[in-house]
Amino acid sequence: MPTNASSAALTGADKPSLTTTPVPPRTDPVSSSKLVEKIQIKDLRFYYKKFEALKTINLSLADKKVTAFIGPSGCGKSTLLRVLNRMYALYPEQRAEGEVLVDGANILDPKIDLNLLRAKIGMVFQKPTPFPMSIFDNIAFGINLYEDLPRAELEDRVEQALRKAALWTEVKDKLKQSGLGLSGGQQQRLCIARAIAVKPEILLLDEPCSALDPISTQKIEELISELKTDYCIVIVTHSMQQAARSSDYTAFMYLGELIEFNDTETVFTNPHNKRTEDYITGRFG
Amino acid sequence: MAKDLARYARRRRKNWVILGLSLCATGIGLFFLGAIIFSLLTEGLAAIRPSLFTKMTPAPGSDGGLLNAIYGSAVMTAVGTVVGTPIGILVGTYIAEYSRGNKLGQSIQFINDVLLSAPSIIIGLFVYQLLVVPMGHFSGWAGSTTLAILVIPVVTRTTVDMLILVPNALREAAAALGTPKWKITVSVCYRAARQGMLTGVMLAVARISGETAPLLFTVLSNQFWSTDMNRPIANLPVVISNFALSPYPDWQRLAWGGALLITLTILTLNITARFLANIGSAKQ
Repeated sequence: MPTNASSAALTGADKPSLTTTPVPPRTDPVSSSKLVEKIQIKDLRFYYKKFEALKTINLSLADKKVTAFIGPSGCGKSTLLRVLNRMYALYPEQRAEGEVLVDGANILDPKIDLNLLRAKIGMVFQKPTPFPMSIFDNIAFGINLYEDLPRAELEDRVEQALRKAALWTEVKDKLKQSGLGLSGGQQQRLCIARAIAVKPEILLLDEPCSALDPISTQKIEELISELKTDYCIVIVTHSMQQAARSSDYTAFMYLGELIEFNDTETVFTNPHNKRTEDYITGRFG
Repeated sequence: MAKDLARYARRRRKNWVILGLSLCATGIGLFFLGAIIFSLLTEGLAAIRPSLFTKMTPAPGSDGGLLNAIYGSAVMTAVGTVVGTPIGILVGTYIAEYSRGNKLGQSIQFINDVLLSAPSIIIGLFVYQLLVVPMGHFSGWAGSTTLAILVIPVVTRTTVDMLILVPNALREAAAALGTPKWKITVSVCYRAARQGMLTGVMLAVARISGETAPLLFTVLSNQFWSTDMNRPIANLPVVISNFALSPYPDWQRLAWGGALLITLTILTLNITARFLANIGSAKQ
């Protein structure tokens, strides 16, 4: 659990001085090593038909870090997230302009193979979306798309994914039962297991805890902090506590614009922009 | 107490009235269903004897059964269903999953709805012109074609309705794993819509197994045992219609037996299908 300075700071205890340095303050070994920019968003504009939902977004997301998108409803957080795996391309009336580089390759290029792109970028949605099949098949589905594994190895991969998602002990005796029979929190962890089973490099979480109870939420947040050693994680959240607890960087968005982006502690303790401050102190939103 | 109790009482009265009307409507529907099954049972049970399943349709006054008609109906219904169902499912899949509400998809859906309500006798006439006239004779194949054409709109309609009910979130979740579109449709959407689609097929089978008018134009009937689909072939609906209108009591009895048989078969098929679908979804 990241019981770190940022969550303490949010509760007001041990408030650091307002003259924090812009350097990421974490002292864990990962953040002291050189940051790799996994995703670079350059001049991204996004349209729903004629409506401009994102206005010239420029943002870089670090590998093996958690970046949170916060902001009031309708500000474009989810839209931005759905650009990163081009989920919007399912809907012909939505389009993006600009560049999004993942490992240096522009994924907005129409020549990009969307299936291969999405196999590399996992996504978990707001509502749990188990497929109408067994728990085992839910996980195996994604693996079988791109890998032809012998049964024993497949079973092993499914177990690993379920263990990582902290679900294994709860479902190991009923892998053949429907995924729809699980509770909401379990279903959401099943979806996370499904997303990480295919070994993506980036994990997009679109308000993954909004439909969950506090205990499931805690489990998923613990999971996020464990997973970030392997993945570049981007999380959209309505809960500022969640952003403060589980992210390394925070982007505050408002009305389709990126207002402020910085390491989480700075955003929550020493925001540079008035609107960010108003939002995180609960003056609006 | 500021609550408007009169308003509440009015709403309750409305509720009672509508509930009463609904119950009446249900009662009327169930009454006729019950009456039909009752008369079928009382008149038809006497005809259900081993000879019904072992002997051919008889000449008036001699003993006989419906074996040739049962066989002909079973084969034509099966061929019609096997040919019509995949076409219906594919058309429905195109409309629901691929056309995204474009002009072509909308037109197909409209035409399909017209076809759905088209009188079956017109389909029979169409196949008569298309197959019977050029071939020069009635045949089992022409009958199966007619039945297949009747299956398509029913299956198409239910497939569309059921696929549209599949939440988009499920498609997005599958797409997010890098699943190709066809695989999303087959492995996720069909699975989620399976029960409804199966119901559609059952409805179609139920509809075609009782069709009489189009078969008059296409298969005619046959008094004798024949398995040659290129020839006129006996079938239950036409035999029932011929025998029921005849003045011979033993023919009339056989007609009742045939009617009961069709009803029971459809009932069994429906119950079995539901049962299987339930097992399927419990095991999912």
